[in-house]
Amino acid sequence: MVSYDHIIIGGGLSGLAAGIRLARFGFKVLILEQHSRPGGLNSYYYRQGRLFETGLHAMTNFADPGKKDAPLNRLFRQLKLSRKAFATLQQQQSTILFPGDRSLRFTNDPQVLIDEVARLFPESAERFRKLVDLVVGHDPFQPRPFASARKILTKELANETLADMLLWPLMMYGNSCEHDMDFDQFVIMFQSIFLEGFFRPEGTIKDFIDLLLNHYRDLGGEIRYLAPVKSVTQDAGRVRSVVLASGEELAAKFFLSTAGYPATLVFLGQDDPSRLDQYSGKMSFVELIYLIPSEIRSKLRAEDTIIFYNFDSPFDYCCPDEAVNVNCGVICFPENFQDLTIGNECQVRVTHPANYHHWKKLSQDEYYPMKSLWAKRSEAVVGKIIGNYSQNIVYQDSFTPITIERYTGKVNGAIYGSPEKIRDGRTSMSNLFVAGTDQGYLGIVGAMLSGVTMVNQHLLQTSEH
Amino acid sequence: MNKEEIRDVILEIIQDIDEDADISDLQSDLPLRDQLDLDSMDFLDIVMELRKRYKLQIPEADYPELASLDSCVAYLEPRLKDS
Ligand SMILES: Cc1cc2nc3c(=O)[nH]c(=O)nc-3n(C[C@H](O)[C@H](O)[C@H](O)COP(=O)(O)OP(=O)(O)OC[C@H]3O[C@@H](n4cnc5c(N)ncnc54)[C@H](O)[C@@H]3O)c2cc1C
Repeated sequence: MVSYDHIIIGGGLSGLAAGIRLARFGFKVLILEQHSRPGGLNSYYYRQGRLFETGLHAMTNFADPGKKDAPLNRLFRQLKLSRKAFATLQQQQSTILFPGDRSLRFTNDPQVLIDEVARLFPESAERFRKLVDLVVGHDPFQPRPFASARKILTKELANETLADMLLWPLMMYGNSCEHDMDFDQFVIMFQSIFLEGFFRPEGTIKDFIDLLLNHYRDLGGEIRYLAPVKSVTQDAGRVRSVVLASGEELAAKFFLSTAGYPATLVFLGQDDPSRLDQYSGKMSFVELIYLIPSEIRSKLRAEDTIIFYNFDSPFDYCCPDEAVNVNCGVICFPENFQDLTIGNECQVRVTHPANYHHWKKLSQDEYYPMKSLWAKRSEAVVGKIIGNYSQNIVYQDSFTPITIERYTGKVNGAIYGSPEKIRDGRTSMSNLFVAGTDQGYLGIVGAMLSGVTMVNQHLLQTSEH
Repeated sequence: MNKEEIRDVILEIIQDIDEDADISDLQSDLPLRDQLDLDSMDFLDIVMELRKRYKLQIPEADYPELASLDSCVAYLEPRLKDS
């Protein structure tokens, strides 16, 4: 049997980052990916000869290359990638829209949000500034039980609408729980979105993944595609090998699973349904992708990079009763980054919370009509915000919780994974750890930081090599 | 390796870890961390790089010995004398 120092299950961003970190120090590493291409939730595909990014609205945690201790720059350093050579484009501006025409604008300069809060909620301006200080001074990485961000915000801000408006984008971009958010997670997301901000790579996500992949290979790392792990063999509290769907067995000293905690429990044979349910997220989404001619942009409200809107009152972040909730969502203009040249066509991407079970029960014949139905409903609502674009659509595509489940194996199509995170990355096996979404760092930068952190904590400083 | 060679290796590793590290006026008896703005993760990289290059295992309890350039050299000299 072939044997490795480390086997990583999953070639998404957390797996690639972990792989680079290990290969960099000379370990023999293998990444096993079930799909035919890397990237996981953040990948790409081709339609009509055009490249589409599956999961990229914007990356979070923007920092200028000079800021050494910023998470983004640390990440690059840890991966031995040049941050200076990585060209980034910052967002234009983003807006949070709530009922009663309330809107809050923010950019990568935190002062803009502070001023906006003072404009819309003068009575809460001082309290908001104190909240920013609280966030800056809070270390979210200390192990702690769940603390309700809602309760803390209600106490600190004494303004429920403001609390909801702040929570909404942070929840949409990184909350696996319904209704409320862990305060530590709130702090992580607040820093990465409101204090650091949005950017995108100058190139496509394919360029970014290729950069990681080539770097990993140059360092001697191996990756295999179409290699789904089905189970692991165990011996005295340790994993000995992984078994692929083909029956092939591969051994290693250490294992890192980025396939999600429920999937990892299944590998271990610990698949008792109530346990799996405890770690299965309920939050999933549909994403609608439109291509429109760039010249109609002048007739639309198209100056934001991202609009986070909610028309539900009271506001609640949850799995909807219906198949999709179009009353709230995220509208992204992926071309609206500073210094990005816009071609003849541009994209509009719209994300709404969706109910996995409604989509799961559909037959093939019902699935596509259901997609069109909800796309129409979405266009009606989104059209009221940005202006009508329905007649001008050149091409459109969409994906549902079922698409996410099919391509990434995420249980329930839950992008943000388990509501209970495995912060320390440990499992019942002493040489098997989890990283990525279910360890607790979310988003593109978050997933990569998770891979790096778990490697640093568990796989480098061991004398067992 | 002799003292001078070890010193050069450490400086080379630091520059390898951090493309912006300015080693031009480094004081060899003062903590590297403060002078170069290194964090504990960067520190781990120095240790791992030594492991990779010279198969040298440095236990966590010994990390304080690597605080300054001088102390690094003192700690590593007996351990790398045959490298
Ligand atoms: C529509 C959408 C939009 C998004 N937008 C953004 C955004 O704008 N900004 C942002 O920062 N984040 C965004 N995200 C979130 C971001 O993509 C994820 O948080 C991040 O990519 C998660 O990385 P991961 O490595 O933890 O998980 P994954 O990407 O899920 O990686 C896990 C990998 O494991 C593989 N795998 C699973 N089971 C097995 C098995 N049994 N054997 C072998 N391999 C297996 C999967 O195929 C997958 O490649 C978005 C996500 C989606 C879906």
